[in-house]
Order: sequence, then C-alpha cells, then structure tokens
Amino acid sequence: MTNPVSRREFLNLLGAYGGTSAVLQAGVALGFMPSSSQAAEIALQANNGKKVAILGTGISALTTAWELTKAGYDCTLLEASHRPGGRMFTVRSGTVIDEIGNYQRCEWDNDPHLYFNAGAARIPSIHSNVLKYCKELEVELQVFVNESKTAWVQDDAMNGGKPVRNTDYSSSMQGFISEMLSKALGDSKLDSSLTESESETLLGMLRRFGDLNEDMLYKGSTRAGYGSGGFLDHGTTKDVVALRDLLKARNGGSVMVTTQEGTGSGPLLMQPVGGMDRIIYAFANRLGDRIKFRAPVTEVMVKDDGVEVAYEQNGVTEVLKADYCFNCIPSHLMSGIPNNFPDDYSEALNYIRRGRAYKAAFQAKERFWEKENIYGGITWVNAPIQQIWYPPHNIHGKKGVVLAAYNFGGANYTEMSQQDRIEDLLKHGEKVHPNYREMAQKPMTIAWHRMNHMLGCAPRWARNRGGWSDKEEQMYETLRQPVNGRHYLIGDQSTQHSAWMESAIQSAHYALADLDQRVRAEPA
Amino acid sequence: MKKIVTATTLILSAVCSMASLAAEGDVGVAAAMDDRYCTTCHGVEGIGNIAIEAPRLAGMEAWYLKRQLENFRAGIRGTHEEDVQGIAMRPMAAKLSDESIADIVDWVGDWEYVPAEATVEGNVRQGRTAFQACAACHGANAQGNEALGAPALAGQNDWYLLTQLRNFRAGFRGSHQEDTFGSQMVTMSKTLTDDQAVIDVVSYINTL
Ligand SMILES: Cc1cc2nc3c(=O)[nH]c(=O)nc-3n(C[C@H](O)[C@H](O)[C@H](O)COP(=O)(O)OP(=O)(O)OC[C@H]3O[C@@H](n4cnc5c(N)ncnc54)[C@H](O)[C@@H]3O)c2cc1C
Repeated sequence: MTNPVSRREFLNLLGAYGGTSAVLQAGVALGFMPSSSQAAEIALQANNGKKVAILGTGISALTTAWELTKAGYDCTLLEASHRPGGRMFTVRSGTVIDEIGNYQRCEWDNDPHLYFNAGAARIPSIHSNVLKYCKELEVELQVFVNESKTAWVQDDAMNGGKPVRNTDYSSSMQGFISEMLSKALGDSKLDSSLTESESETLLGMLRRFGDLNEDMLYKGSTRAGYGSGGFLDHGTTKDVVALRDLLKARNGGSVMVTTQEGTGSGPLLMQPVGGMDRIIYAFANRLGDRIKFRAPVTEVMVKDDGVEVAYEQNGVTEVLKADYCFNCIPSHLMSGIPNNFPDDYSEALNYIRRGRAYKAAFQAKERFWEKENIYGGITWVNAPIQQIWYPPHNIHGKKGVVLAAYNFGGANYTEMSQQDRIEDLLKHGEKVHPNYREMAQKPMTIAWHRMNHMLGCAPRWARNRGGWSDKEEQMYETLRQPVNGRHYLIGDQSTQHSAWMESAIQSAHYALADLDQRVRAEPA
Repeated sequence: MKKIVTATTLILSAVCSMASLAAEGDVGVAAAMDDRYCTTCHGVEGIGNIAIEAPRLAGMEAWYLKRQLENFRAGIRGTHEEDVQGIAMRPMAAKLSDESIADIVDWVGDWEYVPAEATVEGNVRQGRTAFQACAACHGANAQGNEALGAPALAGQNDWYLLTQLRNFRAGFRGSHQEDTFGSQMVTMSKTLTDDQAVIDVVSYINTL
C-alpha cells in the first residue's frame, strides 16, 4: 500500500483536532458514568385507594402498573392485542404475528432455544432500570454477543462479492488507520499541538492498535488469523487486502462500531434467557387479571375529577372510570381515538412520526455457522437485509434461529409480500453462506409499520437531522405534562431517546413521580 | 448443588406460567382471526386518522368502499410508485377474500357518519366556481351518485381529498388502464389549473 490518501486530505479529516484536546479535560469528561446509570428508587404513597386506568401493555405501562399495584393502587390495564408487550415481542413455536394483511403463525420446533426477538433484543449494561426489573422479577439474563470477528462482511462491490471475515476487514482497517495517523503525527502541524511525550504515547498506542511493524507500517496482522498453520506449525500471515479494496465495502462504518451498540455501552450486551418477552410475562403474570386483553380503547375523556375510558370487549363497549390514567398507546394511533385533549396536546400527539423497521428470522436445520467458526455476532451485508445474527445461546445444539434481516428504515419490505420477503432474504444470505437456502426452515418476517396495534417501530420526533427544533422541544414539554393532572402519556414516545426499553421505563417513573407528588398534596 | 436446584425451579416455573398466558392468547387468536383490521389505521369506528393519513370510512358508500378494496386488491389502485398512501394501503387489501370484503363493507356500514373537521383553508368563492365541474357527477351537495360511480365528498377528511386530487392531477392515481372511474377523474381533475385551485375546491366542499 502506498499513500492511498494524501497527507493533506488526511489533515483535513483531522480538522477538528485542535478542538478535541480543548474539550477533553480529564476529570471533567472522563471517569463519570454515562448518565442514567442509576436505577430509580420508587417510594410511592401507599394504600390510598386510588383507581388507575392504564392503556396498553408496553413496558412503560407494565412498569406503571407494577409499581402502583405494589403501593396498593387499584389498576386496570386495557390492551387491544391478544398479547401483552407491544414492541417487546418474541416469536417461537405457536406465536402469531398479527401483521395486517400478513398473518403468520410460527411453526418452528417447540424448543425453548428456538425463538426470535422480533422487537427489542439487546440490553446494554447502563440500562439500569431494565436490569433492575429483571433482577426484581427474577428474569434470568445471559450475555448477548453483538460482535464476532469471525462473522462476515459482504458487499457485491468488494472482493468480487465474496464475503470477507469481519476480522480481515477490521484488523486491516485498524492497521491502515493507524499507519496513516502515525504518518500524520510526523507532520509538524499536527505534532506541534502535542508534547513530545504525548506524541510518543499516541504512537505507541497506534502501533498496538493497528499492529504496525517497526517502521510504523501495516503489513498484515495475525489478528486476522493465520493464512496457514498456527498450532502444530508456525503460522503464516495472511495477504493484506489493499485499503482501496476494503473501501469498496460501503457498510464498513457499521462493521467498525458494532461493539458500541447502545449509547455508552461496551461490547457486553444482555438478553433474557428464552426471549425478551420473559420480562413482559414476568410483569404480566404478577398483574394477573388486572390486564384485559382484546380490549381496544375507543375513547378517552379527561374530567375534572378523573378520567373516563371507553373500551370494547367482546363486541360490547364498556366504560372504565378512574382517578388517573397512564397511556402508552402509540401517539399515531391515539390520533384516531376520540378524546377531549387540549388542542396543543393533540397537535403534539399528531406531530410525532413513526419509524419503519423490518426483521426476519428462520429456524436453521443445522447450526451451519458454527462450522464456519462463528458462535454469535453479526454479519454485515450491504443489501436491504443489512444484518445476519447468529444465536449466541445453545452452542452446539441441534438447531438455532438465525436473524436473517434487520433493516432500520424498513426499505420497501413493508409493502412486499411474504413470498418476496423470503426470496429476498435467501437471495442475499446465500451470498454469505452457500448452503443458506437449504438450511432455512419456515422464515418469519415482521414489518413493524404494518403490525396491528403498533404501526411503527419507534416514535420519531425530530424532523431534521440537525436535532430538535425549539417547537419540537416545546411540544415535547406539553406532552410531558399530565392533562388536567389526570392523564399521563407514557412510553418511549414521551422521551427524547426513543427505541429503548430503558427510555420507556423512565417515562413511567417520571410520570409516577408527578402522580405521587399530586396525591400527597391532596387534602386527606 | 442446592443453588442450582433453586435456579432450575425458578426457570421452570417462569416457563410454565408464561406458557399458560401465551397459549391462552394464541388459541383465542386462531379462533377469532378475521380481517376486521380497519380501525387500527382508520381510527375508532372509521373516523379517519391524520397521523396515519388514513381517511374516514364511516359514511363511505358500500358500493364505493367495495370497489376501492377490490381495486387495491387487484393492484388497480396503490401500485403507482408515487402514490405513497395508496402503496401503504395496498398490502392490507392484497389478500382479502370476497367474503372478507363483504364482511368489512357490512361492518363499516354500522358506523355512524359524523362529518370530519375542516383543516384546509382556501378561497371558498373560487372553489365554488371550480366545483361546478365536480357537481355534475358528485352532486351539487357533494353527496355522491352511485349511478355515475361518483362517491360522496362532503364530510370526508379534507386532507385526504387534497391528496387524492393532487394524485389524480399528477396521474399517481387513476392511470392504471383498468381504472375506468379513476381515469375519468384524471381528466376531470385537470380542470383544476393549479394547486391553489385544488385547495380552493376542497375548501368549498368543506362548506357543504
Ligand atoms: C425492531 C425493534 C428493535 C428494538 N430493539 C431494542 C433493543 O435492542 N433494546 C431496547 O432497549 N429497545 C429496543 N427497541 C425499543 C423497545 O422495544 C421500545 O422502546 C419499548 O418496548 C416501548 O415500550 P412502550 O412502553 O413505549 O410501549 P409499546 O411497546 O409501544 O406498546 C404500546 C401498546 O399499546 C397497545 N395499544 C395500541 N392501541 C391500543 C388501543 N386502542 N387500546 C389499548 N391498547 C392499545 C399496543 O398493543 C401495545 O401493547 C426495539 C424496538 C423495535 C421495534
């Protein structure tokens, strides 16, 4: 490899360099835990006999119901679907995917290892409130492996479309980046902003990071495995793939940051043993018949002294009168439910858009990936399927469930027929694993945009990439205030970091704190 | 050893209790599954939902609803790549049987018609003049005319009328060669010379 990027270009890339040292002052930015790392202590006023209506059974609703029930409140939960949990949804033998116009029933083998987390799948270490409830409700957790260096990277434009191992890609990329940066360090402009000893430390780090040789050049690394030998015989280094060739893969960004999934979390992620809905059922089983299923809410009326919620059950409209109401029904569905919310509140509800996401999975006849030295992690494919996940649990078991597509943005899967979706995932998957088609049994797909009672994967507040506008901030504050002190909107829709269970739980805690302060202030 | 036993018992009990709840739900679903999904998008009793851009169904004529569902199913509507809302609707209808369509039309017929709230503001006077061309088929009060295959417009969500008129004008709806009524609308919508005329005519319909 000879100077693939000119030094000048490289320095331009480092334009913000001087600023970085100004921002990062040890002791200010370092050492602190990322925010939200503390689990909340909930201490509600107990046994006040208040009645609460809880709409939906998303994790925010279940959290609310659980905390209030423990404190002696009288809770009723109304759920439109036949199942609790909303976007925390696990598919296994017998599960129905209630996608509109694409009803599917899962016919995989009845085996506790064979499941697919069709919505939420990963728990980062700093999501302390998710973890707190797992502990409290005795939901057994195991480590989830997000990255495997032996998994693949595939792009039709790279290596003639043949997949390369993640490690071949990432080790080389690290090598090239380190080599370029160390060259740039020799440049007086860059060097002058560092002291000699800082420079030396950085160079030392780069040498290790990139596995550079003594001349600070990248000539391949055994991190990528050996070309041959390595145990009985001396290992030989693999040939280096030119940077220019690696750069043909357009999904390299994802490959390089897989371990950093989830703000502030490291490579260690977790999952409940047996599926994400173990958390949901841990709550739901404890709440028992407080939950009414197939009970869609059809009207929400906030009164001076409480809330009246109409819902349907077995074709009959019932009215539930409560002192307070906590509502996690997705805002875009609330827009179609009669209510008497104030105009600014409705305007804010109608404003939030819904994201698209698509996932697919199949039961694999055999754990074929293990024969390729893969025991978990993600293969990155530069096609709409984007990702292939291998189950990190039940290693060396007979079968396993492979996640065969995970597209955030949804591509055009939402409109595709089931047959086309299946052909699409097989077609792209077999570029990575030649025996893929033969291994795939009974694929299941889920386009969240078409899921009954959800119609979306995550609320989308900000319309501009640049961030939240003042108007958006203002609408958000409007929705965070309870209507008439009686109706609370909860769920990740009333947080600024949607698409995380932790956010949904914290929205419940925020609302509960407000409720508690109100009931304590009421005359006895 | 003791620890292990406790853990196993816990897992087992969790599995059992979960299985009971899950099984109960699923059995019911198999029995009760039908194609009455409309309200998830179109709102309670088909009142329409602006956040989903799904129009009011309550009050829609049975013959018109049936024709549209059949058109969506056949790909006569909702297949033009620029018809964003139609594309969203089409897969919902793609697998409906004749019986399901009949059942849905029946079900929708039960819903009470309440005119939609006006959200579009244009020049009503201009719109009134432009509406003369529409009135020939849709009726002077936009009440619809089954004999001519023209649905009622009064009381429909104005944002929906706006989208559809724009789609007809651009040929995003009504261009399919089997869409006889749609192609008439493509021609008729051209009498509205620009987007302001579309807004005006919808504003006038709001007054009917
Ligand atoms: C594909 C995908 C991947 C994800 N991955 C992760 C992850 O790895 N980690 C993570 O932490 N989070 C993840 N999330 C996000 C996480 O699932 C959500 O943030 C969280 O589950 C949202 O919970 P909620 O309380 O807001 O309610 P929701 O789950 O949105 O529940 C809403 C509830 O309202 C009900 N409802 C709707 N209409 C009515 C009605 N008319 N009457 C009564 N009830 C009604 C619904 O049936 C549902 O039960 C993912 C989500 C998706 C879709």
